[in-house]
Amino acid sequence: MENSLLFYVLSTLIVLFSFGMLVAANPVFSALFLALTMVGLAGLFFHLEAYFIAGVQLIVYAGAVMVLFVMVLMLFDLKKEIAPFSRGTLAGFVKLVCAGALFGLIIGAAKHSTEMMMITPEQAASQSGYAVEMKALATLLFTKYLLAFEVLGVLLLLIAVGVVAVSRAKGGTHVRS
Amino acid sequence: MGQDVFEITINAVKMVAIFLLMVQLVPVLVWVERRGSAFIQNRFGPNRVGPLGLTQLLADAVKFLFKEEYIPNGANRLLFYGAPVMALVPGALAFGSLPLSMPIKIEPFSISILGMSIATTKAYTFAFQSFDIGIGIVFVLGVSSLGAYALLMAGWSSNNKYSLYGALRASAQMISYELALGLSLVGVLLLYNTFTFSEMINLQQGPLTINVMGAVKEISFLPNWGIFFQPLGAIILFSAMFAETNRLPFDLPEAEAELVAGYHTAYGGLKMLMFYIGEYGHMLVASGLMVTFYFGGYNLPLIDSAQVVEHFVGHGLSANAAAVMGALALFVVFLAKVLVFLWIFIWVRWSLPRFRYDQLMDLGWKTMLPWALANTIVTAVVILVLRNKWVH
Repeated sequence: MENSLLFYVLSTLIVLFSFGMLVAANPVFSALFLALTMVGLAGLFFHLEAYFIAGVQLIVYAGAVMVLFVMVLMLFDLKKEIAPFSRGTLAGFVKLVCAGALFGLIIGAAKHSTEMMMITPEQAASQSGYAVEMKALATLLFTKYLLAFEVLGVLLLLIAVGVVAVSRAKGGTHVRS
Repeated sequence: MGQDVFEITINAVKMVAIFLLMVQLVPVLVWVERRGSAFIQNRFGPNRVGPLGLTQLLADAVKFLFKEEYIPNGANRLLFYGAPVMALVPGALAFGSLPLSMPIKIEPFSISILGMSIATTKAYTFAFQSFDIGIGIVFVLGVSSLGAYALLMAGWSSNNKYSLYGALRASAQMISYELALGLSLVGVLLLYNTFTFSEMINLQQGPLTINVMGAVKEISFLPNWGIFFQPLGAIILFSAMFAETNRLPFDLPEAEAELVAGYHTAYGGLKMLMFYIGEYGHMLVASGLMVTFYFGGYNLPLIDSAQVVEHFVGHGLSANAAAVMGALALFVVFLAKVLVFLWIFIWVRWSLPRFRYDQLMDLGWKTMLPWALANTIVTAVVILVLRNKWVH
């Protein structure tokens, strides 16, 4: 009972934060709401006893990615852009369509991924404890999904190199003439 | 939380007490900082209020409480008020997950205090920390990375360019140094093969033991501390911690010659004090992590925690009292070790000048990150070679 109570509280908060992210007129608030959503998700993972995923969620999404988002948004003076970006029938329509498409995608993914996601209670009982879970995760990453894992790494490296190349051409603190 | 009223009560009291411990250490630290800086710079420092100026901080706290409530024009009220609260959260959460002393094992007992009789029929084990979360260090890294939000919120909501500059510098610096910090920890994780703080501390008991391909060499006069296995990791971690806590020589976010006071320029009174508590909380966590990873945690060198309890039993205490006394004694040991590192924080702050911004970024990305990577790879290879028994 108390377990499901925590779940409902956390999910309600997450839904509220996500909604806040969508409707906030100020992009900085949107980004902060998204960060709160990430923290809430991490809380859900903690609640599911997936401690490692929860910690990584905090470090990567809430701690690094969203901080960068917030930082960049705060650099811009977005007072003029706010109105045309977030008001108007067309923008509202596009938003609705996007939300609907995303919702459909999520439901479809959840419906078609039963064999991957579903864990029987027996399996869950045999895999208790974070150490087992992490070992299983690491083993999968470095055996079955090794290629995908490495390709993703290369992709990220490519993006980093591209960003350095693009930003370097325009100068900056490290330009040496 | 616990199974029955007794356990829940103790755990709740423990949580509050450890949070208060963190908050109450701050005035002491501020006093040490001011007197220490004065000592380093050949001045007197605050020495008028009370013996050695010790109650100066009490006077300061009262002053902070009675200061005028002030909000800059055009500031965002919600974020402006929220930022100081947010500054407290990461330090408090991270400090709560550090084991401050050995777990206390309580046998069934019955006593009466002030007319109330407490009797238990079960045996309990209380960890000497707010909450024991299995992933230990991942949790601490996760919560500490939220610290950047407090600075960003404060800087942006103040509606002031100096605040914003300070906040942007702070968050860029924290993100850059988090990489080196995280990587420098991988060596430790490989070494201890666990994420849990208490297991790491237990592994550091006894004399220094080196295991080379199955042959075990014991050096009896040195403790089995992580610093002897990971000196480079320890140095990188400690330097990155300076950047994370925004203290000199990494205090560009509040560089007073350029930015007035950085992200908390517009803050005053108790809100300002909360930023201070957040900063000192970060320092406490950093020192606690150093002690836990590299300096044996709460254990005395060469002495097992079980031996401490036995010592107290030998002095005629009951098993429960001995467990509590042993834990308290080891807590003092932990606190002493942490205070040494806090003193180093203060010492460095008043000895070194500030970096230039490009020097700061170069140090983080071009020096510490490659060294941390090298440390990780070398540790991994060495552990693979030395610990492998080469038989299947």
